[in-house]
Amino acid sequence: MLSKNFVEYAILLLFKDRNDHLFSFLIFSFIVFILSSVLFISDSLQYDLIQSIKSQPEIVVENTRAGRAYQMHEGYVYDASKITGVSSVEGVVEGYYYFAQKRLWFHIIGDARLAKNEMLIGQGVQKAMAELYYKDEFHFLTEERLIKVKINKIAPKGTNILSNDAIFLNPNTARAVLGMEMDEYSKLYVSVPNPNEVGNVALKIVEIYPTAKATTQADAIGAVRHLYYYKGGIFMILYVVSLVSFFILLKNQIGLVYGEKKKEIAILRSLGFCIKDIIALKFIQNTVVSLSAYLLGVALSYIYVFMFNAPYLRTIFLGNELENSISLTPVVDVNLLFLIFLFGVIPFLAFVILPAWKIAISDMSEAVKS
Amino acid sequence: MSKILIENLHKLYNPNKPNAFYALKNINLIVEDAQIVILKGVSGSGKSTLLSLIGGLSKPSEGKIVINEQNIAKLPDIMSSAFRHKEIGFIFQSFNLLEGLSVYQNILAPLALTTLDKEAIHEKVSRAMQLANIEHKKDQNVGSLSGGERQRCAIARAVVMEPEIILADEPTANLDKENALIFIEILKKFKALHKTVIIATHDTLFDDLGIIDRCVQMRDGELLE
Repeated sequence: MLSKNFVEYAILLLFKDRNDHLFSFLIFSFIVFILSSVLFISDSLQYDLIQSIKSQPEIVVENTRAGRAYQMHEGYVYDASKITGVSSVEGVVEGYYYFAQKRLWFHIIGDARLAKNEMLIGQGVQKAMAELYYKDEFHFLTEERLIKVKINKIAPKGTNILSNDAIFLNPNTARAVLGMEMDEYSKLYVSVPNPNEVGNVALKIVEIYPTAKATTQADAIGAVRHLYYYKGGIFMILYVVSLVSFFILLKNQIGLVYGEKKKEIAILRSLGFCIKDIIALKFIQNTVVSLSAYLLGVALSYIYVFMFNAPYLRTIFLGNELENSISLTPVVDVNLLFLIFLFGVIPFLAFVILPAWKIAISDMSEAVKS
Repeated sequence: MSKILIENLHKLYNPNKPNAFYALKNINLIVEDAQIVILKGVSGSGKSTLLSLIGGLSKPSEGKIVINEQNIAKLPDIMSSAFRHKEIGFIFQSFNLLEGLSVYQNILAPLALTTLDKEAIHEKVSRAMQLANIEHKKDQNVGSLSGGERQRCAIARAVVMEPEIILADEPTANLDKENALIFIEILKKFKALHKTVIIATHDTLFDDLGIIDRCVQMRDGELLE
């Protein structure tokens, strides 16, 4: 059991050598900061997308023809509503409109609450339109005609993750913009109150319409997770590479510092410190360094992501086709933070303590004479 | 009270290598309780090696060193360190202070291994500083001290645990005459406190000192007494 006096003396020696520890402290903080930021962004975006999926009905049905999304007529709505276990079916108009002047795709979503000549747009869309002086009204260009729609409202910033590239239009206006017939839908939202029935209902829909694709909430959530696992995975590889580089640098630095510190260890040994005491001393010192660097890295990344909305890093996850100024929802995955701690702090301690142990077991008589 | 018994002591460096050599050969020596013994000899005669073996800083190749009826040559690290902590005070030629710390913090180092409370620690450090006459410099960084002051700081640290045995390796080699005489005065205090002191030196200052109980000559790793 380490005494209070011993811990205090270890801290005293740590402060004496603070400049030697500064390098590893700063680099380690930076690595933890980057990785925590990536994980915070990824978790926050996943959380918001999953919440939005959860707010949708249990099954989303899309039709395909020649491998591409294809419209569905009223008959699909009727047939789906007759399946046992289905409480309601809602036809949805949705698609993409190409804004050729800016070379951007806008996400068109039908919303029955809106009047025919008005629309609600996301902040990214507003910015793109405003650059070409569409401030109060926008002209959709279709094969047959020009459709003028009044810009009625801008979606709030808090919904940006979903609405940044979105244009909400009355379903009939949306159909006209997307070139659809009046009784056609892009998707069906199928509500199934019993969660145990969701899979069966999805299968029945596909049985009735073999070209249709029925995506359950679980499938959609899985797809979002896969997307972010892939992005997070790339960062994890970068993290491992940077951590390995850091440890190589650390090893070299320790080699230099411990060459100079050999005498100090020898002096302590001559005063009665045993090998175990030297290791405990270095363990305490480097636990303080690595733990404080870890906490600093995590705290800074929390501020960077959730208070400043992660400038620069955010675009890697959201893309920069449309400038996206979303507010990231604070989501902290304690398990992941523990994983960073495990793969960061523990190798750090091993890299520092092993050289100290090697010195402590060597013959001290020459070192104290020099 | 400590009696030191050294029997058939050998120290071989680089064993089984072409450059192997004996730093100590068949050393037999008895140091009685509270004696002050001088180990004399030129550089490389084995004085420092003998001191480091007595202090348990390194292990002999052969032979035994019995202190307080305990063969310290055979003790595992944890026990030999505890023995050194409690029973031995080292004074080195190069002082071996912990640079960047104050006098007080240097003297505090051995007490870091104890569970004493703050008051007891302060009392022990103050007593050691008084004995070495360095109390007035207690908050000063050791880097700013003169050679003599550094020596006295090292002495205070060596005696702070109140060890029975003090081992001094060339204690006056880096001191001027005035500071060397101060060291002699401190040596007299050790004598009065009945400490067992072994000094490895080639300084003639110790030749005619009345407090020296015994002078042992060394040459090429052997005792010439």
